[in-house]
Amino acid sequence: MTTPLVEMKDMCISFGGVHAVDHVSVDLHPGEVVGLLGHNGAGKSTLIKILSGAYKADSGQILIEGKEVHIHSPRDARHHNIETIYQTLALADNLDAASNLFLGRELTSSLGFVDDDAMEAETRKIMGRLNPNFKKFHAPVKALSGGQRQSVAIARAVYFNAKILIMDEPTAALGVHETQMVAELIQELKKQGLGIFLISHDIHDVFQLCDRLAVMKNGQLVGTAKTSDVTDDDVLGMIILGKCPPGAVPGPGAIAEEAASG
Amino acid sequence: MADFDRGALVTGWSFKPSSVSFHKLSALLTLALLIFAFSFGNDAFFTVNNGLTVLLQTSVIGLLGIGMTLVIITGGIDLSVGSVLALSGVMTGLSIKAGVPVAPAMAIGVVTGAVCGLVNGFVITKMRITPFVATLGMMLIARGLALQLTGAAPISRLGEAFGLLGNGSLFRIVEKTGGIFPKVVFAGIPYPAILLAVAVVGAAYLLNRRQSGRHIYATGSNEEAARLSGVLVDRTKIFAYTLSGAMAGLAGNVLMSRLVTVQPNEGVMYELDAIAAAVIGGASLMGGVGNISGTMIGAFIIGVLRNGLNMAGVSAFIQQIVIGVIVILAVYVDQVRNRR
Repeated sequence: MTTPLVEMKDMCISFGGVHAVDHVSVDLHPGEVVGLLGHNGAGKSTLIKILSGAYKADSGQILIEGKEVHIHSPRDARHHNIETIYQTLALADNLDAASNLFLGRELTSSLGFVDDDAMEAETRKIMGRLNPNFKKFHAPVKALSGGQRQSVAIARAVYFNAKILIMDEPTAALGVHETQMVAELIQELKKQGLGIFLISHDIHDVFQLCDRLAVMKNGQLVGTAKTSDVTDDDVLGMIILGKCPPGAVPGPGAIAEEAASG
Repeated sequence: MADFDRGALVTGWSFKPSSVSFHKLSALLTLALLIFAFSFGNDAFFTVNNGLTVLLQTSVIGLLGIGMTLVIITGGIDLSVGSVLALSGVMTGLSIKAGVPVAPAMAIGVVTGAVCGLVNGFVITKMRITPFVATLGMMLIARGLALQLTGAAPISRLGEAFGLLGNGSLFRIVEKTGGIFPKVVFAGIPYPAILLAVAVVGAAYLLNRRQSGRHIYATGSNEEAARLSGVLVDRTKIFAYTLSGAMAGLAGNVLMSRLVTVQPNEGVMYELDAIAAAVIGGASLMGGVGNISGTMIGAFIIGVLRNGLNMAGVSAFIQQIVIGVIVILAVYVDQVRNRR
């Protein structure tokens, strides 16, 4: 097998005694979509925020293309071509789409001026591809609809040649049509060789879009499996009971008898 | 938000006339109305000389307002500017008394202000104390220092050169009449007004055309989003508070220079004038909204009101009441508009 794009080994983080992520290991290969599943509070968002630089892990190792890296801030993550679409979208409400797309890495002219025209032109280009109906380039993003805001957040993540994309509930705020759009986008990015972590509550989404899935419960990894090797019910069992089905590779969070037999 | 924006959508206009510029327009209209009304009340009001006087009187609030606007856009507040203004003046005065030439002494004053702002920024970002409390503390510390250093006594006899910044003017035309008092044809553009103009252009450029300005807006809009986007939020805030302190230092030098005396108890409640100017100009204390031109309009509304009411013989107490009402009205109008 090729070197994984990302390997997170034995990650731990706790907040005031609560083990939010407890010895979790996951990996991601180029051109692969890995779904992260689990209840609210299972630790999937926290795990992913370690990779995107929002949190700093207490222990564990992150390897990118086989090399160990240290991610202490969102800037570090971006430096390693990791882009994130947060559940909250993380948009600055009073700024327009272009300012948000380039937030933190504004295009500047040679004199150090912020180049609004160039940023708007680039924004129009990428939005034309992602969401051709998008017209409100001068409105602050708080004046946009949920779907439009989502497309700004997605544009920001895919514009900068990400290798690793993290999507935290990317379709939660979207209608049917827009969800389909995101699904197509994921397929396209996959073809380009990106690795994608997809956090979702929707099991159908996960089966449709993901190659593999990893299930977390109470901060621990229940198991990982190829989507083709497990059924809906198996996955529900993993999420709700922490029971690892035969087709899956059990993790430390799988319930005791399964762990023993596995 | 904004009926205005939706209206723009329907008619196919650009989205440029956003809520911010709408607010600015209404503030500008208020200012024009005030000038119009006062001109009727008193012939001496709408004259070049009185215009220059208003400019001079407004420059101190204006300078403080610029720094305050930066801080308010980040979602913070700086209650210390009035006291920092006094401390900066005191440092300049003491330096001159110690034999430092005027220009470097004034630089020492401005740097003192910047240091106070830097401390504010550190307390807010590193010690995680809310801006209100942190700058309230600095307000007391700076005032106490100013009073302690001078024994609460004014420092006078600072020399003519010290008075130049506050009292000098450019293009002053004086006709020699042969009498004791020469005839002043044109009073000249006061240096404080020029300084204010330079500061306005500089701050507007910073906010609109520089990355750090964009980051100031982003920080105030959604601090978490800004951080996740790679904006160095702490550094941005420290930068804003430091600039606010430096502007207070500059304002302190202008004010003390105008009096040619350093008064350690000068500038009490000036922070509230600066906040009022920013708020009248459309800045939101929630952060993320505001601009320099709006604040300038706000500062001039306050300046024109003071000047006009003075000329009309209205007492200083009534003036406070009027300005208070205007601040509340300005915010109310904005809210009503946003609620629709």
